[in-house]
Amino acid sequence: MTAPTLLIRDLRLSFKGYSGLVEVLHGISLHIDKGERVALVGESGSGKSVTARIILGLLQTMRTARISGTVNFEGRDLEAMSRAERHRLRGTKMSMIFQDPTSSLNPVYRISEQFHEVLKRMVPGIGRAEADRKAAAMLADVSITEPERVLASYPFQLSGGMNQRVMIAMALANEPSLLIADEPGTALDVTVQAQTLKLMRELVTRHNTAVLFISHNLGVVREFADRIYVIYKGRIVEHGKATQLFDNPRHPYTRALMNAIPRITGEGIPKIQDNSDEYLAPLVVHEGCGEPGEVA
Amino acid sequence: MLIFAIARVIPGDPARIALGPNATAEQVENLRLRLHLDQPLSVQYGHFIADLAQGDLGVSLYTNRPVTQDIAQFLPATLELIIVAGLMMILIGLPLGVISARYRGSWADSTIRIFTLLGVSAPSFVWAVILMLLFAYFLPLFPIAGRLADSMTVPTVTGFLLIDTLLAGNIKAFGNAAWHLVLPAFALALSGIGQAARLTRSNMVETYDKPYIEMAESYGFPEGRIARRYAFRPSLIPSLTIIGLDFAAMLGNAFLVEAVFAWPGLSRYGVAVILRKDLNAIVGTVLIISALFLIVNIVVDFLIAMINPRIRLSQRAQ
Repeated sequence: MTAPTLLIRDLRLSFKGYSGLVEVLHGISLHIDKGERVALVGESGSGKSVTARIILGLLQTMRTARISGTVNFEGRDLEAMSRAERHRLRGTKMSMIFQDPTSSLNPVYRISEQFHEVLKRMVPGIGRAEADRKAAAMLADVSITEPERVLASYPFQLSGGMNQRVMIAMALANEPSLLIADEPGTALDVTVQAQTLKLMRELVTRHNTAVLFISHNLGVVREFADRIYVIYKGRIVEHGKATQLFDNPRHPYTRALMNAIPRITGEGIPKIQDNSDEYLAPLVVHEGCGEPGEVA
Repeated sequence: MLIFAIARVIPGDPARIALGPNATAEQVENLRLRLHLDQPLSVQYGHFIADLAQGDLGVSLYTNRPVTQDIAQFLPATLELIIVAGLMMILIGLPLGVISARYRGSWADSTIRIFTLLGVSAPSFVWAVILMLLFAYFLPLFPIAGRLADSMTVPTVTGFLLIDTLLAGNIKAFGNAAWHLVLPAFALALSGIGQAARLTRSNMVETYDKPYIEMAESYGFPEGRIARRYAFRPSLIPSLTIIGLDFAAMLGNAFLVEAVFAWPGLSRYGVAVILRKDLNAIVGTVLIISALFLIVNIVVDFLIAMINPRIRLSQRAQ
């Protein structure tokens, strides 16, 4: 059996502050097999985004961060790698999509220049014309009908949905084996979000890209992910296949999270307890997905 | 018109001052007639505009030469000083800001911030005196005053000594002129360097928090490239505005720095003519300085449009 694309074991993160160390992640373990789409779901401040940044190696540069545990990427220990080696993985073997596409693209450069930069990560000597040709093909892949016009535009000249497609195309341009999507499209309106998510799902399936999908939106997650981890206050509280988890949520926090979604039928805003000792109940793992490779 | 009016409200009779205390009343009266000073202000203004339209700024009572000729002689020295100071502002101020932002929190950042704080916290003439004392008097590294050593002469072509010495093929004189420029230009540039560096730093620190920087990092773009291309360029827009304003403000500050370093420039000429209530010369000097101010601001606006596509494209759309 091949090594999973991503394997995290007992990941702990603390920040050093004036009042001493504050632990933010209390031992997170998760894995993503090759080509698998996995979601990490939780409320704001639960530790979703910091996990993503640790995988990319972005948080390690912060002097106040203390990190322990292992993060393996395709069988190699990331923490044991040199800075340069880790750096080489970013943008080539792993890439990331952010919340707000419009502010994630640099405002003073045209799309084509930014695309060129991304493609250079894979082929350092790639020329402008060659990069433009590749970029246009990739933009066509995300259903952009006039790639040339988009390439010649600045991000502020494009709509949010358009920018999101550009982001997706960029993220997949170098055929990474892991794509991290940090609340993609949260800043977009729902119809645009749905369209771009559908596109993204098609593309990652076609390229067999593993995805770590970070979100607080259960509806989106249900449509997108094969497997789901629910995270609460720096701990994974429930883990199972999407169908298992939605049909039979067993952890009190997962149930609360599902009840928190306002219904379109108008039953008012649900009443949810902010804090409950129940939410700190031990981890629930659904059958058949405890270890890498177990999911059929 | 404002310039014209201000020059007229300064108290004192220009003709009397020009001719000195020993002149007879008749002599004074003659000069007043020649300068149209006996006529009402509106008529004086008419004469002024008519002459101005022909590029004639009148004759200076102080040097007894056409004002245009005086300006042509003194302006290059000031321009040379200001341009060198402006270059220092850009070539020292901006990089300091970038280094400070990129290594924020480090000792380099702290040192730069202290240095730039000093720069903005005292006016340039104070720095002129301090620098002169330190590096020309106690430590005689630089010349105390003037533009060129007395032993050297260079034929005047443009009036810019750095250019004239090169045209004359006199490398030694070029070095000497540049050497004379260092202290006054640096004194003049210090507050601008400080402002440019501090502003660039704060803008860049803000830009570093933007999502597009995080995205650039997540794609593993080289750090130096992120600093230069991704963080610096968006931050440059406000810095450039300030540099433009500082550049223009230097025209005013040059008055005092030129006085300290005995720099034979337009600003010093301006002070001399104001003290003598030399109407034509005052108006001419102020006119030229305002024109320079305008030109600098226009150039800055163009530069900003060049680096900020949002401005460039919105104007084209209109």
